[in-house]
Amino acid sequence: MGSADHLREIEADALGRLGAAGDLEALAILEAEVIGPGSPIMEARRGLKDVPQEDRKELGRAINEVKTSIDAAIAARRRHLAASAGEARLAAERLDITLPGRAPARGTHHLVRQVWDEVVDIFMALGYSVADGPEVETAHYNFDALNTPPTHPSRFESDTLYVDYGDDPEGVLLRTQTSPVQARYMEAHPPPVYIVSPGRTYRRDTTDATHTPVFHQMEGLAVDDHITFADLKGTLAYFANEFFGSGRQVRFQPHFFPFTEPSAEMHFSCFACDGSGCRTCGHSGWIELLGCGMVDPNVLATAGYDPAAVSGFAFGMGIDRLAMIRYGIPELRYFFDPDLRVLGQFR
Amino acid sequence: MKLSVGWINEFVDLPINDPGELCDVFNQLGLEVETWQAVEAGFSGVIVAEVTEVLLHPNADKLRVVTLDTGSGLHTVVCGAWNFEAGATVPLAMPGAVLPGGFEVGSRKIRGVESPGMICSERELGLGEGSEGILMLGEGYAPLGADFASTLPYPDVVFDLDITPNRPDAMSVYGVARDLAACFGLPLRGPNTGFEEEGQPTTASVRVEDSERCPRFTAREIRDLAIGPSPLWMRLRLRDCGVRAINNVVDVTNYVTLELGQPLHAFDLDRVPEETLVIRRAAPGEHLTTLDSIDRVLSDEDLLVAGPSDGLALAGIMGGENSEVAPDTTRVLLEVAHFSAPHTLLSGWRQKLRSEASARFERGVDPELPPIASGRAAALMGRLAGGAIAPGFIDIYPTPIEPVVVELPAAETERLLGVAIPPSEIAGILTRLGCEVEGDGPFRVTVPTYRPDVTRPADLVEEIARLYGYDNIPSSLPRGPGGGLSRTQRRARLASAAMVGAGYSEVMSFSFVAPGDIAALGLPPDDPRNRPIRIRNPLNEEQALLRTSLLPGLLTALRVNQARNHPSAALFETGLVFLPGPADLPDQPRRLAFAAVGPRPAPRWTGEGPDRDATDAVGVLESLAGALGIEMQIEQGSDGAFHPGRCGTVLVGGWAVGVVGEIHPAVASAFEVTGRVAAGEIDLDAVLAAESGAPFLPPSPLPPVVFDLAFDVDAGVPAGQLTAVVAAAGGPTVESVTLFDVFSGPPLAEGRKSLAVRLTVRDPERTLTDEEVAPLRSAVAAAVAERLDGRLRGG
Ligand SMILES: [Zn+2]
Repeated sequence: MGSADHLREIEADALGRLGAAGDLEALAILEAEVIGPGSPIMEARRGLKDVPQEDRKELGRAINEVKTSIDAAIAARRRHLAASAGEARLAAERLDITLPGRAPARGTHHLVRQVWDEVVDIFMALGYSVADGPEVETAHYNFDALNTPPTHPSRFESDTLYVDYGDDPEGVLLRTQTSPVQARYMEAHPPPVYIVSPGRTYRRDTTDATHTPVFHQMEGLAVDDHITFADLKGTLAYFANEFFGSGRQVRFQPHFFPFTEPSAEMHFSCFACDGSGCRTCGHSGWIELLGCGMVDPNVLATAGYDPAAVSGFAFGMGIDRLAMIRYGIPELRYFFDPDLRVLGQFR
Repeated sequence: MKLSVGWINEFVDLPINDPGELCDVFNQLGLEVETWQAVEAGFSGVIVAEVTEVLLHPNADKLRVVTLDTGSGLHTVVCGAWNFEAGATVPLAMPGAVLPGGFEVGSRKIRGVESPGMICSERELGLGEGSEGILMLGEGYAPLGADFASTLPYPDVVFDLDITPNRPDAMSVYGVARDLAACFGLPLRGPNTGFEEEGQPTTASVRVEDSERCPRFTAREIRDLAIGPSPLWMRLRLRDCGVRAINNVVDVTNYVTLELGQPLHAFDLDRVPEETLVIRRAAPGEHLTTLDSIDRVLSDEDLLVAGPSDGLALAGIMGGENSEVAPDTTRVLLEVAHFSAPHTLLSGWRQKLRSEASARFERGVDPELPPIASGRAAALMGRLAGGAIAPGFIDIYPTPIEPVVVELPAAETERLLGVAIPPSEIAGILTRLGCEVEGDGPFRVTVPTYRPDVTRPADLVEEIARLYGYDNIPSSLPRGPGGGLSRTQRRARLASAAMVGAGYSEVMSFSFVAPGDIAALGLPPDDPRNRPIRIRNPLNEEQALLRTSLLPGLLTALRVNQARNHPSAALFETGLVFLPGPADLPDQPRRLAFAAVGPRPAPRWTGEGPDRDATDAVGVLESLAGALGIEMQIEQGSDGAFHPGRCGTVLVGGWAVGVVGEIHPAVASAFEVTGRVAAGEIDLDAVLAAESGAPFLPPSPLPPVVFDLAFDVDAGVPAGQLTAVVAAAGGPTVESVTLFDVFSGPPLAEGRKSLAVRLTVRDPERTLTDEEVAPLRSAVAAAVAERLDGRLRGG
């Protein structure tokens, strides 16, 4: 017992059995058998005390070598078995990754709101602020302060919704434009003024493809000591290119609005066909976008500004119209349709 | 307004005739083109012929055999029309002619008589919808055998222009020609107004009683008229401009209105009592039957052209039936007047009546035009209706309207346009537009009376820009001082984003509601939302009230989705509501409201989530408060529109800012929504204004003591109240109190429930031991016992 041959036998036997261990559980049992108390190698170590003093040292070293060898074999076998067990588990956990994900449900911002915010952002980049005001407005701010003559048809009850509030039957109304916000703002702030006023506006229209009694307008105003028609052109050309993509040409035609002089209507080259004519632009290559002009001196004077010292431009456009043009939405009424098949597309 | 290029060319020799190029020119002048259309004779192979003999058809009662002189011989055809005899000049379609619609004329036997070709009616030639009979061209119309198509004023192009209200000067062919002449720098020819007066001076008289509404009135008698159809060229011009031909006298008045922009009216002088016209206000309630056969009740604001007693015409708008030109009329009194713009507009508005005349007067007609238009019409009536123009032109113009003089500062054009236009060019443009210009900056500009819109320097600058060309003005990009969004505006975007992130989609509803929608909310009578503000002139009763809450719109939106087979829907809206207030305008607070119904969303393959209820509504507000970084509390509350047991008051900073919970089942069913509706409505202004951002607390490295307490309390005790009592009693070392379990039933007594909370306690200075926390436990238990009659369970 205890001979070198015997130790080699023990080692060979242990290594052979370890190599046959099929899984980590079997390996744990084997480990006790080949290296635990009562195992041949431990028995050999226990018997060392009976070995003569002169042989004990060498035999002890031989026993330790075998023990180290078996330990290493166990560790290697354990690593091997653990690795294959992990792979097996991963294989078993395979998932169809094309299944729909588990995400928190998300809603959508209304398309009109998205366009609203985008237009605001475009003008904020030019140093504008956002002003808002009441939707039920006085005839003074909606008409008088904006140089609308007392006999102007827009004041007629066929066009404007009047509100039963106060004593004057034509004194309070649902604003027909967001320009009253500009009139209020100018009264409260000295120039320079660079604002946009997005908001809800009203007209006495029956709902059809292009009319709803509620709609959304974005009006802009810049008043300073050097504002010119050239500034108006440059600003709106910048806007058209930011909103509809670069390369848009713009065209200004004389027009008429009570609160601007000179007044203009702005058209831009169709973004869908680049001006060659298509359905979007009614085959003209141009799309009418907005009305604008230099602020009428009467409007400046009403606001308490000196029309000889400052000048300004103003413009107004339909937010709904911008959305319709850009997204090819055929009818205005879709903006007031709560159907999830409509809202779900506003992403 | 429709007008033809051929007509314009009578006054100015246009250098371009291409419709597309003309379109651009019109648009650049601010005369916006709505549409344009090429007009041409839609036929060929038709000649002018004279009837020489008419015989009855041997085999048919209703047909005749007609022989015509074609200039190069005689030609016989069969004809079914009976409105002509020998001597008539008619259009004859020869075999091979092509008529409108591609109909080719051939030679065929009609009841045994060969008929090569046909004599044509107006309708067969596409020249009008007029009488059924053969088109009568009139003696000497054209040499016999002439190609009929080439005698027509075609090809021509008809433009339909949208003239803005500030351009009364462009409400006529002549006015548009004048603008084009100015644009191209070409001479302008005036209208032909030449005629001779003859006979006795007129005995008609005119009295103007309101020269504010009628600053100028002219009248002229024309006698010996023979009423009949106008010549073909005039009928075609009128037709192309959208005016129906009536007879030669009325057609002339319409023609001159279109041509010069000056409305005219012809009274049958034999039907004007005492040959006297009085221009006066109507008596209140006075009646007049206008040419459209409507019996109108007038107010004393309406102006009449009257006889000595009865009204004969609504001044500047429409004539009356009682003095209408009729087939037997032989003499007319031709009214050419100037009526004031605002009064005409209001009168037309009161009568809901708009005509070619009022469309012009209400914008402002040139006060210098009446004598010119009167002369033009007289000349035409003399020529086309055989009229004799009586001496004695009546022209009542007590206070002539003087041209406006505007001082234009030298630098004004550049100041407003941003381009330096040389003074000589400015003066040149204004001169071409008919202004008299003195000086070379500043300019003293006398504006012609046909431009009543031009009264100030800015108006002149617009005219200069118009002719200089908007396209020739440069572009520049000014930048503002930089404003950006205000805190409220930024936080409004955050709030919307939070709602979208919580699964809610934004809707936009009309701001109107129906009376039934307000009633359906089931609110107590004194609730301010029950006092909606009315629209005075609503489109319909469904849109008669201003919304006092966003909930009706959202509930309607849920119904729409349920009806369209979307059982699960979560929607929100932000917007103003309108409530009576103390100020001149209603209170208009901005609200945010949401409503959701049906199962909570989950991927289909994992099964549908449970239906939403009030806790979902509370959860949305928690998300919103989290996104805004504000503290929001919910207290048990009540609201008429909400489930009485599932309703909370929303508090921010101790102030009630809204309501949350489940919509009352009765309210939901009133809006035809089925199932529990999780909903809420908050005052967005107040929520956005709330303080946000608690001070930062560095996390303590010391371990906390965490322990659970369960209390046996009355079933009516709100959990929120328990956690508040626990937190208050626990003192400053209590880091958090989280409710984690609720149950009722055995072993608890009837009417009792268990609420379990987990406390996290931590001292920033040192590690606490369980023993040190014991007094805190006791204090909490005592407080719950005292304030909520709650017993610590298992303790
Ligand atoms: Zn296009």
